[in-house]
Amino acid sequence: MATTALPPLESLFKTSAKRTRAIFASAPDDGFKEDEKSARMRLSVKVNDEYRDYKELPASLLSQQGPVGPSRPKTNAKMITAGPSADTNTARIIATIDKTPTPQPSTFSSSTKLSQALTLHKTTRTIKPTYHAPWKLVRVISGHLGWVRSVAVEPGNKWFATGAGDRVIKIWDLASGELKLSLTGHISTVRGLAVSPRHPYLFSCGEDKMVKCWDLEANKVIRHYHGHLSGVYSLALHPTLDVLVTAGRDASARVWDMRSKAQVHILSGHTGTVADVKCQDSEPQVITGSMDSTVRLWDLAAGKTSVTLTHHKKSVRALAIHPTEYSFASGSAGGNNIKKWKCPEGAFVFNFSGHNAIINTLSVNAEGVFFSGADNGSLTFWDYDTGTPFQNMEDVPQPGSLEAEAGVFCSTFDQTGTRLITGGADKTIKVYAEQTQ
Amino acid sequence: MATALAALLPKPLHNPVVSDDEDEVVQQPAQTSQTVITRPTRPPYGQRRGWKPTTPEDFGDGGSYPECHVAQYPIEMGRKKGSSGNTIALQVDSEGNVRYDAIAHQGQRPDKIIQSQFKDLVPLHYRKDLDDSQRIMDRPSEESVQATADKTRAALEKLVNGKIKAAQPKNVPDSQGKTSFIRYTPGQQNGEGLKQRIIKMSEVVEDPLEPPRFKHKKIPRGPPSPPPPVLRSPPRKATAAEQKEWMIPPCISNWKNNKGFTIPLDKRLAADGRGLQDIHINDNFAKFSEALFVADRHAREEVRQRALMQQKLAQKEKESKEENLRMLAQRAREERGGIAPKPTAASQAAMKSTLADYGSDSGSGSESEGSEEDEDARRIRDEMRAEKRRERERELRMNNMGAEQRAKQLARQQNRDISEKVALGLAKPTLSKESMLDSRLFNQESLSGNFADEDSYNLYDRPLFHGSTAAAAIYKARGNITEGNEESFGGGTDEGIGKALGNDRFGLGQVRVGFEGASEQEIREGPVQFEKDTGDVFGLNQFLDEAKTGKKRGLDTGASGARKRQQLEKASELE
Repeated sequence: MATTALPPLESLFKTSAKRTRAIFASAPDDGFKEDEKSARMRLSVKVNDEYRDYKELPASLLSQQGPVGPSRPKTNAKMITAGPSADTNTARIIATIDKTPTPQPSTFSSSTKLSQALTLHKTTRTIKPTYHAPWKLVRVISGHLGWVRSVAVEPGNKWFATGAGDRVIKIWDLASGELKLSLTGHISTVRGLAVSPRHPYLFSCGEDKMVKCWDLEANKVIRHYHGHLSGVYSLALHPTLDVLVTAGRDASARVWDMRSKAQVHILSGHTGTVADVKCQDSEPQVITGSMDSTVRLWDLAAGKTSVTLTHHKKSVRALAIHPTEYSFASGSAGGNNIKKWKCPEGAFVFNFSGHNAIINTLSVNAEGVFFSGADNGSLTFWDYDTGTPFQNMEDVPQPGSLEAEAGVFCSTFDQTGTRLITGGADKTIKVYAEQTQ
Repeated sequence: MATALAALLPKPLHNPVVSDDEDEVVQQPAQTSQTVITRPTRPPYGQRRGWKPTTPEDFGDGGSYPECHVAQYPIEMGRKKGSSGNTIALQVDSEGNVRYDAIAHQGQRPDKIIQSQFKDLVPLHYRKDLDDSQRIMDRPSEESVQATADKTRAALEKLVNGKIKAAQPKNVPDSQGKTSFIRYTPGQQNGEGLKQRIIKMSEVVEDPLEPPRFKHKKIPRGPPSPPPPVLRSPPRKATAAEQKEWMIPPCISNWKNNKGFTIPLDKRLAADGRGLQDIHINDNFAKFSEALFVADRHAREEVRQRALMQQKLAQKEKESKEENLRMLAQRAREERGGIAPKPTAASQAAMKSTLADYGSDSGSGSESEGSEEDEDARRIRDEMRAEKRRERERELRMNNMGAEQRAKQLARQQNRDISEKVALGLAKPTLSKESMLDSRLFNQESLSGNFADEDSYNLYDRPLFHGSTAAAAIYKARGNITEGNEESFGGGTDEGIGKALGNDRFGLGQVRVGFEGASEQEIREGPVQFEKDTGDVFGLNQFLDEAKTGKKRGLDTGASGARKRQQLEKASELE
């Protein structure tokens, strides 16, 4: 009889729990946390019960796994790693419980040189890329009547110049994107442009074998550098000397004295069209990339090749020298096509892998944002230090153009490095900017 | 002691010494201690059987051994040079590894960096042969940059100065400045003894514009530097799929076959498959056009019916009007004739009946002969009256007609005299353009604007002879007749020619059926002259005009015509 009179247990439990909570609510918080000892016990029981059979792979699987080398690193891995996961505590506890050694692939357990190299490979992979804000298209300037093949930003960062297949060099206001000036004089596509930081001169070269020096105070051609035997595809100014380097389809790069128009050197050695040339103030002062799929570093004083880099499989169409780091990058077609090189001796640093297309242009700014534009209109932004891509984009051709006209031919960062100006096969100039929150 | 040590130590795997000859490497360890006093031993004369002189030392300072029957080269005489030229000596680095890339460095400048090893393919961070200081990629300091710039500038300036000097004209030599005096003492050979002379040396003045005296010879370029080692894998062989993608089908000409012969036209046509494909035209096209046709016919029919109806109505109306007019006219006549106005239709009918009675009366013949002359007079009067009435009617009609229509009416009358026509304004003397203008200005051929269009065949803008008389004069044979050549033209007369034509020379008989319609044709008098058919044969111009006005087809033609007629009638009525 008495048992029946008792109230049901659930309500009692509830009230008791409530009361306990009410009493201990004011107490410090760790009183509620289950202590590590109990947690460990619970986990060890769980591990023993549920995962005992799966601590190690079956022998057959383990043997299969052994001879396989390390898998190719995923290039499109997580770009930005979040903070430490909340579950680290648990993981630590599990690690202390579980004394099973981590299964090592058989190649690692052996002590050959290859395996050592591979372990090294694994350990050095852990460089974290720096964060870069994403880039987005902010302006499309349609004014040229042909492919925009070359672009150069003025040192004062007020305007930039573009050269196109319509044989015209146009000068645009950088801030507003308005056309300021059109320079005519070339009789074929303008392939290279450079504005001198130390003279009021603009230099241009084109497929008409001409290299012109424009006086920007009179907007007139004041000099011609005559000597190329075929189209001139690229042009670079020396940062400290009054010297101009042009390269082109005659498989040579020519060094011109700016004032006297004399050809100082002819840098010959390439067996194919020299597609790009770059200059810097320290050795190697001239770097050329060629369609014979080699990159040559030149000793400017002697006019001779100092290093030939033969790593590329296809023609090298683009080069980029980092403004602050003593290194440069070169791009060609195919897989593993963008390579970074350490400067004075041309030591191979690493591949920028993931942009599988014909690279037409490369640019890098001082913040370490590296841009590659391809012939099929794919654009990739990379972290220059680690070679990690952080943004992939597609060039959108302007309305009215064919699908095949989504190609990027030239690109440059402005002097501040916050804008990227590209010229494409859809006859437009596109300006990309870093997205700030 | 050294040998003891050597015996103790294991043999080295690789010898670090750069060696030319494998044999020597093998031989040397054996005679380690005696190397200092090595002396080639030459067997004395007579004991040289089986001995081969090989080294230069064997020959001493020259001379061969004729009793030894081997090829001998005393002091390297006669030995072919370059026999071991392009083989490179095996080179070993300090760790005893063979330097396999020695060939890549051969012939290159010493300062050139040749990447030829596997380590050059390894990314920088994974290379073990480098320490961290070698991995740092910091830009060189300002000083080193400046130093590089200075060095390069100096080198380039030297080159540029040389180039510019070559391009500039030679500096003009000064004629008197370069003179120098030399004291010359001739040698002792001549017997006169020493006789010093002072010689004035001056440079020959060179003409700066003189053409080069010596032929400029181009030196062929030296051999290029050896190619660098290639550090990439060879290009992959194209897969079948890739090959298929790149397969461009050969051009197949429609005109020439593979051997270059022309393909006949019929084969060509057969080959291009023009006849093979049958063209499908949707049935709906036919249906549509059929429907359009039917609708068009319906519309036309309706319009026609409506026009007919309107016409009929108009006619009826017109008739009634005419009747009315006639009545009015009759009444007026009667009034003028002094007859009391006819009252009404009823009275008229009554009169008719009385007239009938009258007629029947006359037929009875009860009247006297005296009424005969009455009869005559009345007939004359009636005739006169009828004539007058007709004239009046005509006048009335003429009055109602417009001037244009009147003119037309008159023109229809063929037997008008020209003077009458002129008086009526029907015939005007033609105003010829030429007479109006100063002929001196236009003595040249005036070309009309449409003269000699490309696609027209009128070579001449007007016929050569204007009048038919000239043509007739040309056409008619005249000279021959007088010259007695009459027979050829049947005497030149119509009968003669007719006879000649009708002469049945071959007895074929008279043509029963000639060309149809040929008999009706009028006889030509001149040459056949074609005139342009300006008439609108197919109604095309009319159609186009209609289309230009933009009116709807089918509705306007009949209706508007009827309407126009009505308006005309109204106008006539008002007059």
